[in-house]
Amino acid sequence: MATSATTAPAAPTGGRRITDHVLLWFVLRRLAALLMLLVGITLIAFLLTHLVPGDPVAANLSQQAVSDPEIVQAFKEKNGLDKPLPVQYVKYLEGLTHGDLGLSQQTQKPVTEDLGEFVPATIELAVTAIVISVLVGVPLGILAAIRRNTWLDQVLRVVTLSGVSVPTFWLALVSYYVLFFKLGLVPGGGRLDPGVDPPAHHTGFYTLDALLDGDPGLFGEALRHLLLPALVLAMFTISLLTRFTRASMLEVLNNDYVRTARAKGMPERVVVFRHVVRPALLPILTVFGVAFGSLLSGTVLVEKIFSWPGIGQYAYNSALALDLPSIMGVCLVVAVIYVGINFAVDIAYGLVDPRIRAT
Amino acid sequence: MVRHTKWLRRWSLVATGAAVALSLAACGSDSSDDSSSGGGGGSKTLVVENSFDLTTADPGQVYEITGGMIAHAMYEPLLGFDGGDLSTPVPVIAKSYELSEDGKTLTLPLRDDVTFSDGTKLTSADVVFSFNRVKNLKGNPSFLLDGVTPSAPDENTVVLTSDKANPGLPYILSNPALGIENSKVVKEHGGTDAADADTTDKAGEWLNANSAGSGPYVLKSFSTTSEVSLEANGDYWGDAPTYSKVVVRNVTADVQKLDVQKGQAQLVLDLAPAQAEGLPSSVEVHSDPTSNTFFLFSNDNPAISETTSNQDFQDALRYGLDYDSLVELAGEGSVRSPGIIPTLFVGALDPSDALATDVDKAKASLAASGYDGEKVELEYPSDLTKNGVSFGTVAQRIQAQLKEIGIDVELVPSPIATSLPNYRDGKEQLGLWLWGADYPDPSDYLAFLPGQTVGLRAGWAAGADPALEALGEQAATTVDNDARGQLYQQIQQQMNVEGPFMPLFQTAQVAVTTSSLSGFEYNPVWTVDFASLK
Repeated sequence: MATSATTAPAAPTGGRRITDHVLLWFVLRRLAALLMLLVGITLIAFLLTHLVPGDPVAANLSQQAVSDPEIVQAFKEKNGLDKPLPVQYVKYLEGLTHGDLGLSQQTQKPVTEDLGEFVPATIELAVTAIVISVLVGVPLGILAAIRRNTWLDQVLRVVTLSGVSVPTFWLALVSYYVLFFKLGLVPGGGRLDPGVDPPAHHTGFYTLDALLDGDPGLFGEALRHLLLPALVLAMFTISLLTRFTRASMLEVLNNDYVRTARAKGMPERVVVFRHVVRPALLPILTVFGVAFGSLLSGTVLVEKIFSWPGIGQYAYNSALALDLPSIMGVCLVVAVIYVGINFAVDIAYGLVDPRIRAT
Repeated sequence: MVRHTKWLRRWSLVATGAAVALSLAACGSDSSDDSSSGGGGGSKTLVVENSFDLTTADPGQVYEITGGMIAHAMYEPLLGFDGGDLSTPVPVIAKSYELSEDGKTLTLPLRDDVTFSDGTKLTSADVVFSFNRVKNLKGNPSFLLDGVTPSAPDENTVVLTSDKANPGLPYILSNPALGIENSKVVKEHGGTDAADADTTDKAGEWLNANSAGSGPYVLKSFSTTSEVSLEANGDYWGDAPTYSKVVVRNVTADVQKLDVQKGQAQLVLDLAPAQAEGLPSSVEVHSDPTSNTFFLFSNDNPAISETTSNQDFQDALRYGLDYDSLVELAGEGSVRSPGIIPTLFVGALDPSDALATDVDKAKASLAASGYDGEKVELEYPSDLTKNGVSFGTVAQRIQAQLKEIGIDVELVPSPIATSLPNYRDGKEQLGLWLWGADYPDPSDYLAFLPGQTVGLRAGWAAGADPALEALGEQAATTVDNDARGQLYQQIQQQMNVEGPFMPLFQTAQVAVTTSSLSGFEYNPVWTVDFASLK
C-alpha cells in the first residue's frame, strides 16, 4: 500500500510507470482476495471436520482406554478438544498466524513438521507429472489440430478419450502389474529401493537433493521410481491438455486473419506459430490450473498404490483416525497450492493480455 | 487443407518421439532385483510389507499392531512367549517369576548380563521407570498396569504389587508397550515417569526418531505413513540377528501380493485368505488363527429393544446362525470360536463344546419369544476389515441366515468413527463387532460379563446373572492356572446357553514369505519377531 501511494504521483510522467502501477494494483487486489479466500477455507474446513458425526476420542483410543475417564480427559486436554468449538477455532487461527498448525493426534508431531515431510514428495510427483503433461499434451494437441481429421487425429482422439475416462486407481494397479510384476521394467513402489538411504534433506525432492549431494546413482534411482507414478498421474492431464489444445487451436485456425495470412502466401510455419499457437495457448493456461488441481486429487490413490509417502497417504490416514489438526493442515496446503496456481494463472493472463488487468 | 510441409513432418516426429521416449524412460532402465534380498555375509536386509496401523514408536504409548511389532524388535519385555505358544510365559529379561499365593505379588529376578544399545547395564530401576511411565502417560496401554505398583528391592529384582489378585499379569508383561526403556537416556530427552507425565513428558518425539532399548534392533528412521527402518543393535547382549537391517514398508494388500512374488519383499502380512489362494510355490503361505474374535450381540436392555432383550429371541439367534458357513466366509486358517475366549488361550473351550446350529430349536424359540416380524437393526462398522474379513460381508450373511428362520434384519452400516460411539453407549439393537485380545490371558474376557465394559455395551447390566458374575470374580482371583482355566471354561459354557453374546469366529492371520526366508512364526501379541527370522 505504502509503495503504491508514493509511486502514484510520479506515474503520469511515463507510460511504463502506469503499466507497472496497474499491474501492482492488480496483483495486490488478487492477493487480498486470496487471503480472504484462505481464511474462508479454514472456517469451512474447520466446521466440516467438526460436523462429521464421529468422535476423535473413539477413533484414537483403544477399547480399554476409552473406558477410563482419566485417559479420555488427558487425551482431550492434550488435543484441545475440551474447549468449546469457537474457542478451538480462534486458537487455531491464532496459531496459524505464527505458522502453528497444531499437533497431529496420530503422529504426536507438529502438523507443519509432518507436512514438511510429506508435501515435497507429492509436489515432486505432481510437478514431474505436469511437466510430462505439458511436454506431451500441448504438442499432441497442436498436432491433432493442424492435422485435423487425419488418421493421427483419430488415433489421438481415441487415446485421449480413454485417457480421461480410465480411473487412475485402475491404471496405477495395472501398470504396476504389467511393468513391474510381469516385465520387471520399473522398480517397485516407494521413492527409492527398500533399504537405500535417502539423500540429505535440502529441498525434499529426492531427485534434486541427490544432484545437490553430487550422487548421480541416487539421482537415477530416484528418477526411476518417480517416472511410472508420474506417468500414471499424467495420463489424465495429458489427455485433458491435448483435447483442449486441439479445440483451442481449431477455434483460432478458423479466424479470418489466419486465412488472410495464408492467402498472402505466408509460410505455414509462420502462420501456425505466430498467428495460431500464441493466442490458442491463452485458454490453455486456465486448463493448466484445473489440471494441476486434478493431479493433486488423483495423487491420493496413486500414492497408495505406489507406496509414495506424500500428502495423499497422510490425508488418508488422518481421515481414518479423524485426526482433525492433520486434516485441517492437508486442506490448507491443498487450498494454498490450488489458490496459488490459480493466482499464478491469473497473473500470467494479466501479463499476456493487458486488457484483463483492468477488470 | 493443411499443407504437409517438411517442417511439420519433422516436428510431428519430434513430438511423438518425445512421448515415446518418456514412456521408455519410465520402463527402460534396469531394475535392481537383488537390492531387497541383500548381499551375503554381514549385510542382509529384510523387507517386510504391512498396511500400517502405526502412530508411535514410543513404547510408553504404543498400542497398534504395526507399532507393537516394531517396538518388540527394539524393547525387550520381562517375560515373553516361545514362538507362537501363548500357554506359558517364558523369561526374557527376567530370569524367572513367582506369583504369591494371593496373586497380588509378582517377583521377578532379572538377568545381570542385559545391556541397552548404548552399553548401559539394565537394572530394576529401568523397569520401574518404564512401567511408571506407561501408567502415567495415560495413553492406550496404560490400563495394562492398572492397580499395579512396580518396586525394586535391589538392583536385580523387580516386584510388582497389584491391588487385587492378578494372575494374568505374567501374560500381560509380554506386551510390546511393556518393553524396558533405558531410563537414563529417556530422561535425558525429556522423559519422565512422574504422576503428571501425561503433560510433562517430552520424550515421545525423540523416541520416534531414536530408540533406547535392549532389543536386537535399534531405530534408524520412522514414518507413520511410509516406512520404518531398523538396524541391528551392534552391542546386543544376546545372539546377533540374521538380518542386519529391517525395512518395514506401508503397502496395500494388492501390491503386497505382487511384491512378495517378485521378491521385492520377503514377508508380507496383509493378504486376505482369498488373496493368498493360488500363489505359486515360490512363496510360502502361513495361515494362523488370531485372537481377533467376531461376535454378534442382541441388546439385553429392554429400553433399547423389547425384541432383542427377550431371552427366547436371543436363543433363536444363538441356534439359528450357521456358524460353519461364517467360518468359511472368514477364510482358510480362521477357526470357529467355541466360546468368547480364543482357542489359543488358557481357559479356551474345546471345539466340541461350541454351540451347534439347530434350526428347529431356533424357530421354536422365535415362536416362544412372541416375535411378530418387526425389523431389527443390525449395526456394524462398514469401513472396517480385519484380516481380510469385512464386517459388511459378515453382516449380509447373518442377515440372510436369520431371514431363513424368520427374523427380519435391517442392516445399518456406518463408518467406525460413527458406529463406535453408538456401540460404546450401548444403543445398538443388534451389533456385529470384534474383540482383539489386549493381552493373551482369559482375564481380558471378563469384560464381557454383566456390568463390565462389553457387557454394558450389549445392555447386560450388573446383577443380570449373579451366579455368572460370582464365577467371574472367582476366576479373576484364582492363581492356580489349571483351576482358573476350568473356571473360565465354566463361564463360557454358561454364556453359551444364555446371555446376549454369540461368538462367531477367530480371523486368520495370513503371512506370505519368500522361500528364502525361514523361521517365521506368528505371535498374536507382537505379530513377528524379526530377530528370529533367518
